[in-house]
Amino acid sequence: MIEVQGLSKRYPTRLAVDDVTFSVKRGEIVGFLGPNGAGKTTTMRVLTGFLPPTAGSARVAGYDVATQSMAARACLGYLPESAATYPEMRVSEYVAFRARLEGVARGSVRARVGEALERCLLGEVAGRRIENLSKGFRQRTALAGALVHQPPVLILDEPTIGLDPVQIIKIRETIRELGRDRAVLLSTHILPEVEAVCDRVLIIDRGRIVAEGTPAQLRGKLAGSPVVRIAVRGNVPARDALAGVAGISAVEIEEAPGETRARILCAPGADPREDIFRVAVERGWVLRELSREALSLEDVFVRLTRHETDPDAALPAAEAGAPPS
Amino acid sequence: MRKLFAIVGREWRAYFLSPLAYVILTAYMFLNGLIFAKIVSFLATPGGPRERFLPIMFTNTFFWIFLLFIVPILTMRLLAEERRSGTLEVLLTSPVSETQVVLGKFLGALGFFLVLWLPSLVFILYIGAKTDVDLGAVAAGYLGIALLGAYFLSIGTFASAVTKNQILAAILAFAMLIPIFSVGLFESGSDPARQSLIGYLNIWEHMDEFARGVVDTRRLVYYLSGTVFFLLLAATVLSSKKETP
Repeated sequence: MIEVQGLSKRYPTRLAVDDVTFSVKRGEIVGFLGPNGAGKTTTMRVLTGFLPPTAGSARVAGYDVATQSMAARACLGYLPESAATYPEMRVSEYVAFRARLEGVARGSVRARVGEALERCLLGEVAGRRIENLSKGFRQRTALAGALVHQPPVLILDEPTIGLDPVQIIKIRETIRELGRDRAVLLSTHILPEVEAVCDRVLIIDRGRIVAEGTPAQLRGKLAGSPVVRIAVRGNVPARDALAGVAGISAVEIEEAPGETRARILCAPGADPREDIFRVAVERGWVLRELSREALSLEDVFVRLTRHETDPDAALPAAEAGAPPS
Repeated sequence: MRKLFAIVGREWRAYFLSPLAYVILTAYMFLNGLIFAKIVSFLATPGGPRERFLPIMFTNTFFWIFLLFIVPILTMRLLAEERRSGTLEVLLTSPVSETQVVLGKFLGALGFFLVLWLPSLVFILYIGAKTDVDLGAVAAGYLGIALLGAYFLSIGTFASAVTKNQILAAILAFAMLIPIFSVGLFESGSDPARQSLIGYLNIWEHMDEFARGVVDTRRLVYYLSGTVFFLLLAATVLSSKKETP
């Protein structure tokens, strides 16, 4: 539903998006992740026809966003970062206005508005002025406006920014539901949001896609050598006991009162947790902790987008399967 | 067309839901009262050309002051506010063109401007009950107001398209209206070509003609082409001034 090929966007003073290629299929929610100024919003603005691309092409529902802009725009619902609405309007009036603007047939406007309000849990505030609503309700009003015409493609720029945790959960549920039969591209820099909502992640940095895959794939690709941590009651000869276990390359003992803690570095791809458990049973150790250090998406994100100080920072991008530049 | 009407309707709602609309309406009614007092005093003059009261209505100082100040106030938020608040992005990512957006905004402002003039019809009806009124001249006078209003409002719409600061938009519109308003000052001189050009552009003279019931097609062409020119300019600015992130 969304196909982007070699897309670049240059502003007078800088290159905001540099040769970006990706696609989003129907029924898929793709998270667009990147630090501030990475090019997320610019890419979305090109996709929505708000800005013309400098090079490359983008298609929405089969329509080229530059040459068939009207048709492409009719197929998408866009929630801009500002989630701007008209404060003097009532919620239902605003959503009805958006429906008319999107070309919903006269006879269907009322029904579509009702559906959108229901979907975004706005029923209780439908008759209230937007200016009197909380940020969360305003955000949902803007979202209702973006999906009132039931577009096959949804582009949501930071849909949960500034919301409280309860509202965030509700919006995420709505997005997940919408993503079942639509193509959804969602930008965010809230990492748990990506984990919670998205099927796939695109990480963009300085205008380029530096990694692409499911959150688990990204973690796997970037994790490197796995690390297992153990804690055993009392002083035990952990280093000697574990030295012979297959898949363990080094054991670092950490000082702790009343117990022995060890950080066990494993060979790439190895998972010696069960063998470690067996050693503990054989030797009668009282095991207090046995865990594998997991690389969070946050770690992946930091590794991929850190570049000012670390000269090796760009390296994992290639490992993570970034498209060739 | 429905999309255009959606924009016009929203614009109307925005006008009538803002206190500014009622401040403008009140100020206008006050000025119109003063104009009406002038007309009454003119008609009360014994032996005066009674049928010549309409030019007082459409060409007096209050009329011009009102027009020059009210148009920038009416138009300043049209597009500047959309740009500032981010709703312009919502509009321009919907399946509507820049021209439709500009036209919708302009028609909304024009509609409100015309509504401002409706109460003045009461004066005409009242005077009509007391003395003879040339209805043709009245119609021509209101046509002149509609044309001049459309022209001025299109300039205001253009000014509002170039900035996101409403105050700046109002000042720019005022600065553009002043030279157009002042053309009549340069009418003196003997060069016939210059005289003819200034006569073509002199809006004081045009309004005087309309108020006398004269509808000259040259005036129609001038106002309509000017209106279309500035609206197209506004649409062009709108499509080209999105680049800045």
